[in-house]
Amino acid sequence: MSTFLGPLDATGRVPPRQQTRVAAFLLSCHGAMVRQLAIALALQTKAAWHAELNSQLYRESEIVSLLLRATSWAPDPELIFLLPSWEAAWLPRPTEDIADRAQAFIIDVAALGHALHAVIRPAALLPESGPSLDPFALALRKIEFESGRLMQAQIMFLKSADLLPFRSAVNTAVDGRHEQVRELWDDMLSSIGVQRRKER
Amino acid sequence: MPFLVLGSCRIRYELDGPETGPAYVLVNGLTQYAELWGAYRDALVARGFRVATFDLLGQGASDKPALFISQDDQVAALALLIEHLGDAPVFLGGISFGGLIALRYAIDHGDRLAGLALMSTFAELSPQLLLLGTALRTGLILGGTGYLQDLLLPMNLSDAWLGPQLGNLEAVKRQGWLTNDVYALQNLMESFLEFKPLTPQLSSIGIPTMILNGEFDFLTPRALHETMRLEIPDSALVIIQRAFHAFTLEKPALTADLLCRFAEDVLSKKWKGDRTVWIAPENAGEPLIPFPSGHDHLRAIPAHETPP
Repeated sequence: MSTFLGPLDATGRVPPRQQTRVAAFLLSCHGAMVRQLAIALALQTKAAWHAELNSQLYRESEIVSLLLRATSWAPDPELIFLLPSWEAAWLPRPTEDIADRAQAFIIDVAALGHALHAVIRPAALLPESGPSLDPFALALRKIEFESGRLMQAQIMFLKSADLLPFRSAVNTAVDGRHEQVRELWDDMLSSIGVQRRKER
Repeated sequence: MPFLVLGSCRIRYELDGPETGPAYVLVNGLTQYAELWGAYRDALVARGFRVATFDLLGQGASDKPALFISQDDQVAALALLIEHLGDAPVFLGGISFGGLIALRYAIDHGDRLAGLALMSTFAELSPQLLLLGTALRTGLILGGTGYLQDLLLPMNLSDAWLGPQLGNLEAVKRQGWLTNDVYALQNLMESFLEFKPLTPQLSSIGIPTMILNGEFDFLTPRALHETMRLEIPDSALVIIQRAFHAFTLEKPALTADLLCRFAEDVLSKKWKGDRTVWIAPENAGEPLIPFPSGHDHLRAIPAHETPP
């Protein structure tokens, strides 16, 4: 088990089977974010968050579009079973501790977004020796780079004064989504012979 | 890899050296991880110390809380580790943000320590440090860990160290980039940007304290160390020649030797802090030089002291 994708093929590319599995996972979770952000956008009435959510929606769409174009796809029959389980995991889980159900839904969307952008570090899977201009490698680097910025909207929202009275519930929601994303990401990587770095 | 448990979080630590010896506990700076103390571990163990290193919450292999990290939690983690060491004399050293955590521990639990070594540390945020910290945080958000490293490397290390590394800088940065997660670093940075000044509490630190400051430290300049020297009664300020903020990375042999000598002096009751000012030697093992009397150690040019 390696902490990096590979071994790279003769041209220095990540093997298409690994590309396919990683891209399918990322498409599933970021695609779910696009759908949920579209709903959250309709529920959110505060102008400032409206702008942030709108921006998030289109940046998540960009990730989906980028992966569709940059991945070298290979047949992967296991995805028939994996994709439904991933899709089920991203379904909304509004926290029970918050009476306002619309707000609880938006907190869960933010918690899921935070977890996806914080836990998943696709560029850290690339070996140091990989080619710098391979489209898939470039896409992974771009996604990880943008994650740091995308996460800011979630951080600002989840730490906002409005949610301070619900800090415990918010923490629980975020921790729960982190644990879930970490487990699914680790399982997916393990299925292609990669172990996420947990320690140096 | 052993872990301590603090509430719902796990703190990764490492102990080396003789179980019965006096202990040195070393606290990481903001973007560091425990392995970076490797040279210190070897040097201190060779001189009979037990050495404890660990990753703070949000760093390395310790847990990384998703949204909030408080300095209180970091001090509690440090307390847990020191508790784990038993009754041996404990010397506590910290660099930069780690120095701040060590300082807070010393204020709360000074009676448990035999000595305190503060390296590139601050007890309050000067306007410069606040603005620099805020800008570094923005840099992290906009450009990721790599950009933060790009800012910190030239700010904190000398040309003499950077020159030979220039062709290999990406490899130098890669381990830190792999180890650090943006959200965890951001939480750590926010925990230091929001802290209240410790200066009013410094005089309560009654233990021997050695304050180490790089001659050319840009991030935490002399004035910030001077506050600690003036307020901590049994302290001495030692200026590391030709050094910047990250002198623990750049001059490990010299710094480890200074840490050993400080602890040995304290244990043999030869230590006299007296708020004195010293210049560290160029090389490990050489004697410290008293700062020339009559000159102002806060100035870069040999200006005469102004009476208070």
